[in-house]
Amino acid sequence: MKVKIWGARGSVPSPGPETVRYGGNTSCVQVTLDDGTLLILDAGTGIRGMGIALAAEAARVHIIVTHLHLDHIQGLMFFAPAFRSESEITIWGPASPEASLRDRIARYISAPLSPVEVRELPCEVAFRDCPETEWEIGTAHLRAASVTHRGPTLGYRITADDCSLAYIPDHEPAIGASLENDEPDWISGFDLARGASLLVHDCQYTDAEYADHVGWGHSGLSDTLTFARRTEVERLLLFHHDPMHSDDFLDTFYGSALEGWAERGGDPVALELATERREIELSAATDPLGSR
Amino acid sequence: MSQKPIELILARNLLSSLTTPAFLVDDHGALVFYNDAAATLVGRRFEERGQMAASDWTEQFGPADPEGRPVSWEDLPLTKALFAGRAIHSKMHLKVLDGTVHEIEVSALPIFATGGTRGAMAIFWPVEDGPQAGGPK
Repeated sequence: MKVKIWGARGSVPSPGPETVRYGGNTSCVQVTLDDGTLLILDAGTGIRGMGIALAAEAARVHIIVTHLHLDHIQGLMFFAPAFRSESEITIWGPASPEASLRDRIARYISAPLSPVEVRELPCEVAFRDCPETEWEIGTAHLRAASVTHRGPTLGYRITADDCSLAYIPDHEPAIGASLENDEPDWISGFDLARGASLLVHDCQYTDAEYADHVGWGHSGLSDTLTFARRTEVERLLLFHHDPMHSDDFLDTFYGSALEGWAERGGDPVALELATERREIELSAATDPLGSR
Repeated sequence: MSQKPIELILARNLLSSLTTPAFLVDDHGALVFYNDAAATLVGRRFEERGQMAASDWTEQFGPADPEGRPVSWEDLPLTKALFAGRAIHSKMHLKVLDGTVHEIEVSALPIFATGGTRGAMAIFWPVEDGPQAGGPK
């Protein structure tokens, strides 16, 4: 299983010289399985560059969105395969009693926000509510579960090729809970992350910033590290960087993260900050340094 | 033990912050949480007891109607809210560990979500004690 980061920024795109190293595009992660199955996790602005890079023959793709906040769907309209008639795109997302997934996404891909309507897309596009039970795409087994964030939001666990990826980019498991002491079944997202080869997890704030953002649906550094250690993941990728955090700030932040990780008994090679275009290859016995 | 639905996790987070006694049951009626304010009624913190099957907590807490007759599990406001799918408000009595009986008012609400019923919560007002600490004076 290959994982490639196309956007790791949270909330709003933040391009510019201050963010050029970690990147300013919002959430998008490409997962390519050994059998060639292509999964795209979230459709933030990072999906634009990915669409350009994808070979034209990659006609069948699955886009799996965690929720419909703009930073997770904004790139959909700029995803090149959506404008090719031979493409078959399936968009998976959280169900809602309020409206279908198609209608909720169409609020963005419609006037006055968009010059294009969903029905005008030349590709074949289908919208599917994520099942409550595990389902399969290619050789991947997928599991979705609601997690603590604002509005209907899913986290995912993808198991394939003898390894597992947990993707919970927008998550505040610590709100009203004790991550150190609560039983696992009472911690949001615990089962998704448990023992994963790689956990990609929200880490938008420093601890000091989090104190001013409790209830906004995102995690502070200490909570993310504690969650990862409690769930015993093999590797942790800190994700959903705050748009106010420059590259220099994130470098310092990473230093703090390594200290906190070590205090919790974590191996430093198993922790990193998500960076645009970073590729990680997971295998059954994941080499913590296995990357390109 | 399997992961609790997010709606129960969030309900527990809310109830654990309240100074009003409150119970939380899952979709089978098992008592999965009560808060510290409720612990003052039933005599022991939830963390000391843990999760309880419907028959167990009904028997131990001895819910009774205003005339002192035991209330069966099926007739409890919490159970009615869970299985009838509507809000219930009523008066009843609770017998606690020290043997004393407390008259209480109960409001019970079912918890619905995409995919079905997740459980129900009940909030209690001890009638004889007047307004709750932290509540309206």
